[in-house]
Amino acid sequence: MPSTRADDELKKGSAEFLILSLLEGRARHGYEIAKLIELRSQGALRFHVASLYPLLYRLEDRGLIAGRWVEKAGQRRRRFYRLTADGRQVLTDRREGWERFVRAVRRVTRIEYA
Amino acid sequence: MRDWADAVRAHLHSAALDPRSEEAVVTELTQHMEDRFRELSVSGLPDDECRRRVLAELEDSDRNWGARLRRRADQIAPPPPGARIPGASLFATLTFDVRGAVRSLRAVPAFSLTVIGILALALAGNAAIFSIVNGLVLRSLPFAESDRLVELDETAPQWNLRYVGVSVPDFAAWREGNGTFDRMAFFTSASYNLAVKGAQARRVSGVQVTHEMLDVLGLRPLLGRNFAPEDDRPGSGGVVMLTDDLWRHSFGGDPSVLGRVVKLDERPYTVIGVLPAAAVFPDRADIWTPLAADLSKPSGYYLNGVGRLARGVSIELAQSDLLRVHKEQIAVGRTVNRITSPVVIGLRDRYLGDLKAVSRVLAGAVALVLVIACVNIAALMMLRGLARMPEMTIRTVLGASPHRIAAQLLTESVVLAVAAAACGVPLGLAALRAIVARLPEDVPRWVSFSLDSRFVIFCISVTAAAMLMSSVAPIMQTLRTDLRGALQGVTTRTTATRAQRRIFGGFVICEIGLAIVLIAGAGLLLVAWHSVVSIDPGFRPEHVMTFSVALPDETYGTPEKRIAYYDELLSRLRSLPGLQAVGATSAPPLGGRWGGQFEAEGVPVDRKGGDDPVVLRIAATQGYFDAIGATLLAGRMFESRDEWPSAPKVVIVNETLSKHFWGTSTPIGRRIRYPGSHDWFQVIGLLRDEKHDGLDRDAPPTVFLPYATASRHADSGDLRSLHLMTVVLRSATDPSLLVGPARDIVGQLDPDLPMYDVQSMTDKVDRSLWVRRLYSALFGVFATVAVVLAATGVYGTVSFAVSQRTTEIGIRLAIGARPAQVLTRTLLDGMTLVSIGVAVGVVGALWATTLLSSLLYRVSAGDPVIYAAAAVGMLVVGLLANLVPSCRAASVDPIRTLHHP
Repeated sequence: MPSTRADDELKKGSAEFLILSLLEGRARHGYEIAKLIELRSQGALRFHVASLYPLLYRLEDRGLIAGRWVEKAGQRRRRFYRLTADGRQVLTDRREGWERFVRAVRRVTRIEYA
Repeated sequence: MRDWADAVRAHLHSAALDPRSEEAVVTELTQHMEDRFRELSVSGLPDDECRRRVLAELEDSDRNWGARLRRRADQIAPPPPGARIPGASLFATLTFDVRGAVRSLRAVPAFSLTVIGILALALAGNAAIFSIVNGLVLRSLPFAESDRLVELDETAPQWNLRYVGVSVPDFAAWREGNGTFDRMAFFTSASYNLAVKGAQARRVSGVQVTHEMLDVLGLRPLLGRNFAPEDDRPGSGGVVMLTDDLWRHSFGGDPSVLGRVVKLDERPYTVIGVLPAAAVFPDRADIWTPLAADLSKPSGYYLNGVGRLARGVSIELAQSDLLRVHKEQIAVGRTVNRITSPVVIGLRDRYLGDLKAVSRVLAGAVALVLVIACVNIAALMMLRGLARMPEMTIRTVLGASPHRIAAQLLTESVVLAVAAAACGVPLGLAALRAIVARLPEDVPRWVSFSLDSRFVIFCISVTAAAMLMSSVAPIMQTLRTDLRGALQGVTTRTTATRAQRRIFGGFVICEIGLAIVLIAGAGLLLVAWHSVVSIDPGFRPEHVMTFSVALPDETYGTPEKRIAYYDELLSRLRSLPGLQAVGATSAPPLGGRWGGQFEAEGVPVDRKGGDDPVVLRIAATQGYFDAIGATLLAGRMFESRDEWPSAPKVVIVNETLSKHFWGTSTPIGRRIRYPGSHDWFQVIGLLRDEKHDGLDRDAPPTVFLPYATASRHADSGDLRSLHLMTVVLRSATDPSLLVGPARDIVGQLDPDLPMYDVQSMTDKVDRSLWVRRLYSALFGVFATVAVVLAATGVYGTVSFAVSQRTTEIGIRLAIGARPAQVLTRTLLDGMTLVSIGVAVGVVGALWATTLLSSLLYRVSAGDPVIYAAAAVGMLVVGLLANLVPSCRAASVDPIRTLHHP
């Protein structure tokens, strides 16, 4: 799917929100996060190494997520990221903001259709 | 891997991280790229193209992304190599898996609770039934090397008797002549009025044993000494051993009891020892006394024997050895040994034969329930597996190996099974307690149903087996899935393949078939139960109370004294208010035997070499037949004139005996006598057969004698049976109201005589049917559970098939199919499976129910009506389970379906 300029803008604005949301339930590693974003958006949103890891490291730097190396028998060592308390708070705020925004957009667009 | 790392390093150059941090970032990123490469490769791209794409993605839109990593270099350093990393050990992996399993199961509570519920029920049933089988069949008896202990008896097929008992001369000959036993002992049960100084007389049961008994069992006295050979000779002084139970409860566990004198039936006995608590055989004995039989005199067959086989001797060898000894006696004049033969049989088999068959059948039935439950669970798991296909696909793509995924699914099964066992085993134990609490009294006391290691092992293995049975198919399904196909379809709907549909079809057939087996079995047992309870028992148990009184020889030594006692007792009881009839008998229905042979006047004797059956002899006073509610078919009942010393000797016979001697012609006025005797008894009455040995047994040929006549002409063997009479009271109202006043009358007449064994006749009938009621009811429960499970299985499978085919059905409807056609088609598909299941089930049931034949009564194991009913019933249930999803299919809205495939 060729990405347009509008897509990129939207993506940048919402990327942190997406990552925080995905880490809400459980810890995940980078590739899993990328794959889930792609699957759940049915391919509309894609993150690759170059776009994902700088974001992850930035979120970690800001203390919203915390990474930890985990090694399981017979598997490669992977770095798992989980949500910190601060991250959870930010996620809640973002979610409310997003819903407010969507509601507002809906109200506007509906008026135009009517 | 190497070229990924170089590419990543090239980007990190501008970030100027310290070497350790750079290494960590490289590790993390190259891993991501490796994952991505694998994903692309699985989807079918050539490797070169995959590599090109992965490297291209490293560039992305922003070529300078590496520079942005500078700020947090220190945070991502990996732990130094060799440091203990949480999660590295096998145990930690296990905890991780279990936590994951619990979490994923909690996310689908309906599924998890259904599986746990079904499995818990099946496990509960199996745990309860296993405990019973364990107690009855598996657990060894509480004696040293108990597999060497055997029961000794005699059989006489010519007399129509499976077990006749052992006579004194035979036991003496066996004991002397055998070469295959370490020891053998013989015993007969007895009961006494026990009087201890300063306490009220009470009835105790006991056994008279030969002196070897304790040694045969491999036990030693707890206190005092064992019987010596001198104690076991006719005329030797009275000595007694107390059981541990009696000693503790009636003598306060006082060791000074040794040497004390107690009175048994007014005769003094010296206590010489206390038996150990392990002396639970012979069953139901409070005291042991020596048999002290006169070996030189002929006797009746009133003894039981128990032997300890010599080491290495088989039961067959011992039996042929005894047979040799037994037949040698014919040469020295014991011609009756031509008819009788010794029987050697494992102790447990003899006493638990019937119960063993029952417990095996129940174990089989409950195992079938477990299999049905597992099939149901397997189907549920496969459906869940299909729903989870996207998750599994992602995991595989993320690098989870097939064995990791299998391990995870298996962990989920284990968690479910453990939860089910945690609910099911306590439930099963509760059921076991309920069953044991109502066990019939004739289950020997040495049978114990307590829990043991075998029970624990059984529970663990059956849970594991159930887990494996129900998870193999779902795991195979997941592992066999074509990953590439699944990956491409990962975000669309999941569909079952043809192979999966076949497996579901197999499940339905299996469930229906097994359910049919259980339904047919339950149907047969139910019909048998109905036949048993609706049969005419030949007496009317309602409003009847019975109790027993035994007259000791010391105070009631002569027949006249005994006759006078019962005369007086019955005439006093007659004055009780509300009493309709009262009488006494030596053997009320469902209790007591006193056998003998008769010959009939004018009927040739010895037609096939002494094959006249052993006849049940019952002594009865006048009034007894009215009290028990017997039906007189011809002639008259006993009257008081029949009891006079000078009265002509008369008897009443039952239908079976009459038929044996005189066929269909009337027995009234005919005469019978003991073989070889000159005294004829004239038949004055014909009674309808009374089910003396149990409602589901044929009535034995029976002769009733007036109590007075029987008492006056009894030999010493007969007296044993006439010692103890059962008084039968018929009341106009609640018969239990008579017990108190009757007890007063018995006490007034002779304060030393206890009244015991008080029970209503309906209780007695109920108890005699207890085992049959139990297994019939349990079978009914199992069959019901099976039907419900099978119906759920059919419903679930057809529903699933319909949901899979919604689009197809929508298209059919859109291009002109009528809903009725869709309905018929779906119904037909489902009912085909059900019909195959029914057919398979009927064939299986025809075979399986032959195992039930020993439990059936007046219904054949192949009764076509029952099979037809089971088949039709299952078809109806299958139809109903099919109907709901089929209707749903017919009401599919084609527009909506096609818009949202």
